Amino acid sequence: MIPLGSIAIRQSASILEARNKIRTVAETVLHDAVGATRVATATSEIARLLLREGNDSRIDVGLDIQARARWLVIDFIGHQSLSGVNELAGLFDEVDGPYDVSGENLVRGLVSLPGSGLPDEGSIATLRSVVEKKGRDELIAEIQIKNVELQDSLDNLRRERSAKERMESELNIGREIQMSMLPLSFPAFPDRTDFDVHASLYPAREVGGDFYDLFLIDNQHFCFCVGDVSGKGVPAALFMAVTKTLIKSRAANDLSPASILSHVNTELSHRNESCMFVTIFLAILDLEIGEMVYTNAGHNPPYVKRADGSLLRLDSRHGPIVGAAEGLAYREDREGLSPGDLVFLYTDGVTEAMNEESQLYTEDRLKGLLSNHPCSSVEESVRVSVDDVWDFQGEAEQADDITVMTVSYSGPSEDVESNRLELRAVNRLEEIARVNESFNQFAREHGIPDAIRRKINLVFDELLNNIISYAYGDDDEHLMEIVISLVNGRLVTTISDDGRAFNPFESEAPDTGLSVDERPIGGLGVHLVRSVMDTVKYERHGRRNVVTLEKIVEQ
Amino acid sequence: MKMETTAVDSVTVVRCEGNLDTNTSVEAQDTLNQLMDDGAAKILIDFEKVDFVSSAGLRILLASAKRLSSSGGGLRITGLNDVVNEVFEISGFSTILDVFASEEEALQGF
Repeated sequence: MIPLGSIAIRQSASILEARNKIRTVAETVLHDAVGATRVATATSEIARLLLREGNDSRIDVGLDIQARARWLVIDFIGHQSLSGVNELAGLFDEVDGPYDVSGENLVRGLVSLPGSGLPDEGSIATLRSVVEKKGRDELIAEIQIKNVELQDSLDNLRRERSAKERMESELNIGREIQMSMLPLSFPAFPDRTDFDVHASLYPAREVGGDFYDLFLIDNQHFCFCVGDVSGKGVPAALFMAVTKTLIKSRAANDLSPASILSHVNTELSHRNESCMFVTIFLAILDLEIGEMVYTNAGHNPPYVKRADGSLLRLDSRHGPIVGAAEGLAYREDREGLSPGDLVFLYTDGVTEAMNEESQLYTEDRLKGLLSNHPCSSVEESVRVSVDDVWDFQGEAEQADDITVMTVSYSGPSEDVESNRLELRAVNRLEEIARVNESFNQFAREHGIPDAIRRKINLVFDELLNNIISYAYGDDDEHLMEIVISLVNGRLVTTISDDGRAFNPFESEAPDTGLSVDERPIGGLGVHLVRSVMDTVKYERHGRRNVVTLEKIVEQ
Repeated sequence: MKMETTAVDSVTVVRCEGNLDTNTSVEAQDTLNQLMDDGAAKILIDFEKVDFVSSAGLRILLASAKRLSSSGGGLRITGLNDVVNEVFEISGFSTILDVFASEEEALQGF
């Protein structure tokens, strides 16, 4: 038996389809149009019976080629016995059945074929393609199913692609925010001879929340930190920005890293719904005495490379990661630095860098490098250590941000000490003369032109007089603090007192156009101060009034 | 502040040295008042050796000028360095007081 295919009978359209297919096949094998139509009609009648009893019926078509007989075989297969099939038996040459074949009911119609021998492969293929040819409805149904499937997979693809693109672009934005916050220009303090700092941050393609910061709180205190925010993308970058801002604003009035981080932690953990956190190493270096006060909040322990070549690991921990729990009090430690010492800070991107064999860089390797390398300059130390990580990593992909910062201390510079004059005066008018004499000596030593020296004399006379005469409501002794510093050609003077809160610069300028007789006596001093200085500023710091004055020193 | 007084015809010339400020202006005021009490009507103050003049100093200059002009005399000033001159300009004193470039100029027609 050579099967030619199967025709499903599912709907009334299938009957016509079956009729046409059988007619075509019959015509091909019978070479007799009338006989073919007869067979086709018989087929369509039986197909109608099949459809009536259920919709899961089919017609199998085949050729039975024997030595003495050749047949077109048409099997009608349904689930129940076909009533009325016998009436149609005359339309076939022979009818077999009905049989019960594995639960199905089969009636076989046979049509005797003329000629002899096997039909060639080509004609069998043609016949098969006729039988198996999809009907229009079948095709439409199939196409509809395929379309839905295609649409689904297209939607999936789009969803995945846009989610991926969104993530990519979010990571990019996050990275841009991250990088834009970093001080990137080095040397960062070219006019300082007492310390130097260098830092590099290499962002990983995907993960990473490293940051660092470095700034002078005042002429004497250098603040630096390295941190690593959990998470990635825009949320991590914003968390980082907030952290940096909180540290910097707190440090302006607070020289204790423990206190700064305790406050930053409280701020960050309050309503921290995203549950992000950050590891931070924060240090403030007193440049005059070479003392570094530091707090390590869950960060990798930094190293101090001494001038004599020895290596110290700063392994004390002063509290947990920042941002995780409210109300923690962080601790701090102190480490004296000598001229030639270098502090080496890094993030876990260094020690957890992986090579192609998935081995970690490790802190041991870093320690070895720092021990063997002279660390002669901040810039070179950063470069050498980062290069060693690249060498180790080889062709492996960078998995996390890599950050290295180095701070070197050269000892208090002559300039720093002599560029600064600190004076204290009690609330007696005679003290003004003493302050002016001290300043005049400072001015002579630093070649400050007379014109500027006289203006500062005038300023002290006016402002100290005001404070002594009007700031205190008692007869007690009070201390006024005066700091004069010459930085980058700018003479910055601050005067602070613990008198009642008073902003001298809020008063209006007097009318200087009045004649001798109209002129009220007094009211001029502050106007003069404002006029002869380049900038004047008043602030209330705690219980003290602080006036800051700046004057550009023309050389 | 040192104040050295000499008479040139009817003019009392006061040559100052130091600063005319919070601490020295009280003493300077006393000196000038004493001169006026003693009959000086025309006073020329020479600031050539004065470093700076603060508003406290301006105050006594103004008071003296008022007193002298009300009694028919006058106050003239000379020898201002750049900063003192600037203070006079800022405060408007350069227009309400008679400021001269030199003692000679100040004495002419006084």
